[in-house]
Amino acid sequence: MSLFAERLRKGKPLVLPLLLLVLWQWLSGQGPAYAMVFVPAGQMLAGIDELLSSGELGHALAASVSRMALGLVIGAGSGFALAVATASLRPLDRALTPVLNAVRQVPLLGWAPLLGLWLGNGEPAKLFVIAMAAFFPTLLGTYEGLRGVDRRYRELAAISKLSPWQGFVQVSLPAASPNVLTGVSQSLAVAWMAAVGTELLFAAGPGLGTLMFTAETGARMDVVLVCVAVIGVLGYTLSRLFEWLARWLLRWRDAVST
Amino acid sequence: MNKPNGFVAVQTISLPWPVRWPAWRSILPWSSLTVPALLLLVWSALSASGWISPQLLPSPLTVADAGIALWQDGELQGHLGVSLSRLAVGFGIGALGGLAFGAALAVSRNVEDYAGGLFHLFRHIPTIALIPPFILAFGVGETFKILIVVKGVFFPVAIAAHDAVRNIPRGYFEVARLYKLSRPAVIRHLLLPATLPSILTGLRIGLDRSWMLLVVAEQIAAENGIGQMMEMARQIFRIDIVMLGVVLTGVIGFALDRSVRQLETLTTRWKR
Repeated sequence: MSLFAERLRKGKPLVLPLLLLVLWQWLSGQGPAYAMVFVPAGQMLAGIDELLSSGELGHALAASVSRMALGLVIGAGSGFALAVATASLRPLDRALTPVLNAVRQVPLLGWAPLLGLWLGNGEPAKLFVIAMAAFFPTLLGTYEGLRGVDRRYRELAAISKLSPWQGFVQVSLPAASPNVLTGVSQSLAVAWMAAVGTELLFAAGPGLGTLMFTAETGARMDVVLVCVAVIGVLGYTLSRLFEWLARWLLRWRDAVST
Repeated sequence: MNKPNGFVAVQTISLPWPVRWPAWRSILPWSSLTVPALLLLVWSALSASGWISPQLLPSPLTVADAGIALWQDGELQGHLGVSLSRLAVGFGIGALGGLAFGAALAVSRNVEDYAGGLFHLFRHIPTIALIPPFILAFGVGETFKILIVVKGVFFPVAIAAHDAVRNIPRGYFEVARLYKLSRPAVIRHLLLPATLPSILTGLRIGLDRSWMLLVVAEQIAAENGIGQMMEMARQIFRIDIVMLGVVLTGVIGFALDRSVRQLETLTTRWKR
């Protein structure tokens, strides 16, 4: 391939986005109804500036992320604990798993109206939905991981006269950790979605979803679009960071295998 | 004995007949209906106990009554019909589009060069965050709800189709060429069986997500539909109707998931 063709190939991914931007800017000039939806670039930048300088965006972002983090800790933590319990106690497993499966059938945010009535539309209802979202993936991942631990490992732990606690911490948990971490990473993604969703549904209190909702009622498309972008970028960054953390946590496995 | 915990050991000790698990099992078959039935029992017991006010936890009978009343008005059928047809239209468009785009992305270098970046950019935007901009752009009518469903289905299906086509070993196509198979024959005997399982999984994930997204979109802005029914009932404190809605969305979600799973086992029978 010649140098020119190579350059051309590198430029290809930019063609469509640039065309879309040009189309966007053109449409924004076609009268006020269009400008409302296709916000002109200048207004867009002014909107970003306003959101940043007023501190509104930072405030909403911090509220959403900290709520999501708390919900994730509660949900993933209880999912992990329950998975350990059900994986080691058959009767509990038999009794609880079908109930949890029944609960899981209802789409997550389908619970929102009921939880809104039970807990009000404040912080507790939002946290509950986020925790519930984070609960299941970690539960399933941990359960599968612990169930899949090679029996020989546990036998070895028994022969080595490890106490059940030592056996769990030194043998079962490390063996199950890849599945656990996969579960937690899925929990993170769903929890972020749930955080935004609950803020849209219970539009009260600070948060990106609430900011977006008020902007929508005020027909401020620029603010809405900035929120969408921030939500997307943040979700992507969080999952990337967690991926990196998981690889770091599992680095001992490479050391063992090589 | 390779199961390390206590439960198996209890079985081996001879307990008197009524306590022994297998005997109970033969009387009470542990079917898929047992758990819903037990949940229903616990729920009625709780609401009958008087610990929780019926305003917060109506009995299953009250909920069923509310359902029957709504059904006789024709209201319930209306909500369900509207929701399911929105789902069907959005799912149809999203799935077909996703299939076509995913396959094109896997096969064509040009599609990948020009549209791949944009595709991956939009893929990472949570659909739920698109509800407000879609409302602003398309109004609160049908278009926005259907587009939300389309977005929810398109990406998982496109990714599944892309991966499925990419994962077909090159050698298969070479064999097909050696046998001089016609294009329809290649599609029927190679492409379909090789890609169907993962595409069906993509469809199932998409269906699952878009059902939830639709229920949320209807809660936020709709004149009818199962989500709007719940939201309306929430505002006028009709908790029985809210619970009816929760149960119905669950049952519908379960039924949708089950039917695609059934298709998956039917179409992948040749594998076993």
